[in-house]
Amino acid sequence: MAVTFLFCFLFFRFFYVQVVWSEELGYRALDQWTREIPIIPKRGKITDRNGVVLADNSTAYTVFARSNAIRDKESTAALLAQTLQLDFETVYNRLTKRKASEVTIAKRVEKGKVESLSELLLDGVYYSRDNVRYYPKGDALCQVVGFTSTDNVGTTGIEKYYDAYLSGEKGELLYETDLVGIEIENSVAAYLPAEDGYNVELTIDYGIQELAESALERVYAESSPKSASCIVLDVNTFEVLALANYPSYDLNEVPRNDAELLNTLTRNHLVCDIYEPGSTFKVLTAAIDIEEHLRGNNRAFSPNYIFPSSRTRAVDGTTVKCWSNHANGKHSNQTLAEALNNSCNPCFTDIALAIGSETFYEYLSTFGFGKKTGIDYSGEAYGLLLPQTALRACDLARIGFGQTIAVSGIQLASAVASAINGGYYYTPRLVKRIYADDGYVLQKNEPILKNRTVSEKTSNILTKMLEGVVTVGSGKKAYIEGFRVLGKTGTSQKYLDGKIAAGKYVSSFVGAFPADSPKYLALVTVDEPQGAYYGSVVAAPCAGEIFQGIISLKNIQPSVLE
Amino acid sequence: MASLTKRRTKRSKFQGDVWILILTTILAGFGVVAIYSASRYVAETQYGDKWYFVKKQLVGFFGGIVAMLLCARFDCVKLKGKKFRWVALIVPMILLALVFVPGLGKTNYGATRWIGIGGVTLQPSELAKYGFVIFASAYMSENMGEMRTFKGVLPVLLSGAGICLLIIIEPNMSVTMCVGLLMLAMLFLGGMKIKHFMVIFIPAMLAVPIMIIAEPYRLSRLSAFLDPWESPKGEGYQLIQSLYALGNGGWFGTGLFHSRQKYRFLPFAESDFILSIIGEELGFVGIACLFAVCGVLIYKGIKTAAHADDFFSFLLASGITLVYGIQTVINALVVSGSISPTGLPLPLISSGNTSLIITMASMGVLYSVSAKSKSTKPDRKFIQ
Repeated sequence: MAVTFLFCFLFFRFFYVQVVWSEELGYRALDQWTREIPIIPKRGKITDRNGVVLADNSTAYTVFARSNAIRDKESTAALLAQTLQLDFETVYNRLTKRKASEVTIAKRVEKGKVESLSELLLDGVYYSRDNVRYYPKGDALCQVVGFTSTDNVGTTGIEKYYDAYLSGEKGELLYETDLVGIEIENSVAAYLPAEDGYNVELTIDYGIQELAESALERVYAESSPKSASCIVLDVNTFEVLALANYPSYDLNEVPRNDAELLNTLTRNHLVCDIYEPGSTFKVLTAAIDIEEHLRGNNRAFSPNYIFPSSRTRAVDGTTVKCWSNHANGKHSNQTLAEALNNSCNPCFTDIALAIGSETFYEYLSTFGFGKKTGIDYSGEAYGLLLPQTALRACDLARIGFGQTIAVSGIQLASAVASAINGGYYYTPRLVKRIYADDGYVLQKNEPILKNRTVSEKTSNILTKMLEGVVTVGSGKKAYIEGFRVLGKTGTSQKYLDGKIAAGKYVSSFVGAFPADSPKYLALVTVDEPQGAYYGSVVAAPCAGEIFQGIISLKNIQPSVLE
Repeated sequence: MASLTKRRTKRSKFQGDVWILILTTILAGFGVVAIYSASRYVAETQYGDKWYFVKKQLVGFFGGIVAMLLCARFDCVKLKGKKFRWVALIVPMILLALVFVPGLGKTNYGATRWIGIGGVTLQPSELAKYGFVIFASAYMSENMGEMRTFKGVLPVLLSGAGICLLIIIEPNMSVTMCVGLLMLAMLFLGGMKIKHFMVIFIPAMLAVPIMIIAEPYRLSRLSAFLDPWESPKGEGYQLIQSLYALGNGGWFGTGLFHSRQKYRFLPFAESDFILSIIGEELGFVGIACLFAVCGVLIYKGIKTAAHADDFFSFLLASGITLVYGIQTVINALVVSGSISPTGLPLPLISSGNTSLIITMASMGVLYSVSAKSKSTKPDRKFIQ
C-alpha cells in the first residue's frame, strides 16, 4: 500500500514538474543556457541644418575574453599583449582572474589590429564593434551638442536630450554555453541585429554659429569677461540658428577629471542660467504700453505722449533714478521712441505703474516669463518672477526697466522675437528633424505657435522705434550701413548675496534685422566685462559684427538705398 | 511470467525468479548509458576523457554481475549462520569507524564517507545497510518469541542505532534516515509490538527537529526545497537546476544525449541527480517507464518475500527490497523537489561502484531466496 501510494505520488509529481510546469521552468532556464555578445548599434549623427556633421562615429573595437574558454592562457596573453601593445602581466592577470566570466582586454582598438588578432583564431577571445564618438568641429557648438559617456550614453546637451533617438537598439549574438560560459558543441548562435540610431538635424546654421563664436571670442579677448554668450534666433520660426557660449571646450577632449571646470564649461548659460535683463527688457514694457494703448486702455500712454523730464520718480517711499543725470537738457520731453533711444528709466517706471500689476503680469505670462519656453534642451531655467501677491509698487516700477526680474537668455530672445514678428510666440527649437540613414524621416519639427503676444500693428510701431535705437540711440554700434537694424542695449548690475555687487555688470544687446521684416534676432550677453561695461559699447558691436557676417554669408542685399 | 510457469513445472533447485536478475541487469546497463550521457561533457572538461565515469561504472557493472551471479547460486540460508551474522554486522561497522582514521578516510564535499585504499574507494555505509539486514533477519527469525518483549528487540535496535550513529557523524543525514527507516520497517516485519514500535518511532520523529537545529545547514536546505528561488545561487541552486532539467524534458524529452543541463549546470548529474538528466532526455514518458521497471523489481521482491520458505528468508528478501525501494523513492522525491535535497544515489543507476556492486549482489541474494522457496502460494503467516 505504502509503496503504491509513494509511486503514485512520484508519478504525479514528475508529471507536474515535467509537463505542467515545463514551460515556465524552460523560460527560466533559457537565461542560463545562453551567453550574449552585444552588438553595438551605430549612434546617430548630429548635423546642422545644412548637413554639416557636428557629431560622428569613428569605428573601433572592444577586445574581450572569456577566461574559461581559453586553453593556453599564457600564450594567449602573450599574443594579445604583443598585438595590442599592452603589458603582458596585466593581460595575463586579467585572463587568470577567475571571478568574472568575461573580461575586457582593450577598448577602442583599431580595425587593423583586430583583423590581425582574429587571424590568430584565439580561443575565448572575442571582438565587438563599438562606436567612439567623434566631433569633427571640436569645440564648435559644444554646450549644445553635448557629449557622451565612455559607454556612449549621452550625458549633456542634444546627446542627452535626444539620446533615445541617437542611441539605437543594441543587438545580440547569442551562444549556447555551459555553466561557466564555454561555448558547447554544435552550439546554435542566434543573431539579433542592432538597430542603428537616428540622425538628428539641428536648426543651427553652422555658418552663423561660426560667426557668433568668433564674435564672442573677440569680445572675450577685448573685455575679459567671465563668459560671453550669444543666441541667434529665426524671428519667424523660433528656430535657433546659433547658440554659443564662450569660453568653450573641445568635445573630443572633455575635461572629465575636473568636475568644477567641466560644469563651468559645459553649462549652456543662455538656456540654463538666469540674469537680470536690465534695459533690454524695456522693449517688452514698450510693447505692452503700445498694445494696451491700441486696445483703448486710457491708462496706457500714446506713442505721442511726452514723459515728464524729471530724473527721479518717488514710489512707495523709494526713489527710482535714471542712469543719466538728465543735466543740460538730456532726456527731456521724451516720447516713448525717445525714451527707448535714451533708455530712460523713469519713463518705463511710469508705464509699468500706469498699466498696473494685474495687466502687466498677464503680459509677462504671455511673453513666457516665469515658465519654460519648452526648448528641446535639458535643464532649462524658469526665471525668477516675484509672485504677484507679494509685489509692491516699487517692485513693479523696477520691473518696468528690467530690474527685480530674472530671465534666461532664451526667454528674453523669444519674447522680443514675438514682439517684433507680429506677435507670434512659438516654441523655440534646436532640432529640425530626426531621420534615418536611408532617408526615412521619423520626426519633423514644424514651428509650434504657443500664443499671440501683441498685435501686428503694435509690432510694427515697436519695430520702427527699435530701429531708431540703432540709428540714433544707444544701439548705434550695431548699425550697419545700408541695412535696417533694430535693437536695444542693456547694462544690468549683478547681485551678490542680495546686494548690488560693485563693478559687476552684465552687458547685453538684443537686436534684429532687417527691420522692415525681421528675420535674424541676436541676443548677446557679456558677463562681467572688464573696463567698459555698457551694453552699447560691449555687446552691441558684437551683435553688429554677427549681423554683418550673416549679410555676407547669406548675400543679403541692402534694403536702404541712400 | 514465463519464469513463474517454468518454475511451477520444473521446480529445479536453483530455479528462481530470473526476472529479478534480468531487470537488475537492465537497470544497471541503462545506468551506464545514462552516466555516459550525463557525464560526458564534465568528464571531458575535467578529466580530459569523456569516458571517465563510464569506465569506472563499467568496472562496477561487470563486478556487480559477477557478484550477483555468485550470490544467486549461493544458499542464502547460510547467511543465517551464527558467526556470519556477526561478521555481517561488525565488519561494516569497523569500516564505518575506519572512515575517521586519517589517511584512510576520504573527505569529499565536506563529509567523510569514503575509505580510500590505493585507487579503490569504498563507501562503508552501503555495506552497513545490508549487514544490518542480514543480522536483523537472522536474529529476529531465531528469536521470534522474544520479539514480543522490549528486551528481545534491543539487540536489533542497538545495532541499528549504532550504525545510524556512525553514519550520522560522517555526516550523512540521508543514509542515516534510510537506515532508520529500514530498521523500523524490519522491526515491524519481525513482529515487534505496536506499543514498543511507538516507543521508538516517536522519539525518532522527535529527533528530526533536534538534528536540524544541531546542524543549521539542514534548515537552510529545508527552506531551500520549499522555495528554491529564495537562494538561487546558494541552497536552492541544485534543486533549481534539477527542476530545469525535468522541465526541459517535458513529455518526451530532448532525446538521449541531448541534455542541456549536463553542461555543468546540474551538479552531481552523473550520481545523485542522474534521474534529472534521464527526465530531461527521455521526458515524463521515459521517467514513467523507468518507474515501471523499478516498480516491477520491487514487486518481484515483495513477491519473493511473500513466497519465502522460512521466516529468515522472508525477512532477508523484505530487507533487500526495502533497501532498494527506500533509496529509489527518496532519490526520486529529492530530484523532483518533493523533499529537501540530500545526497542519496539512485540505486543501480547512479555512478558509484560500491553501491552498484552491493545492490546487484543483494539482488542475487534476492534471486537465491526466490529459488529456494518451494511453495507457490504466499505464506500468510509471515505477512500479518
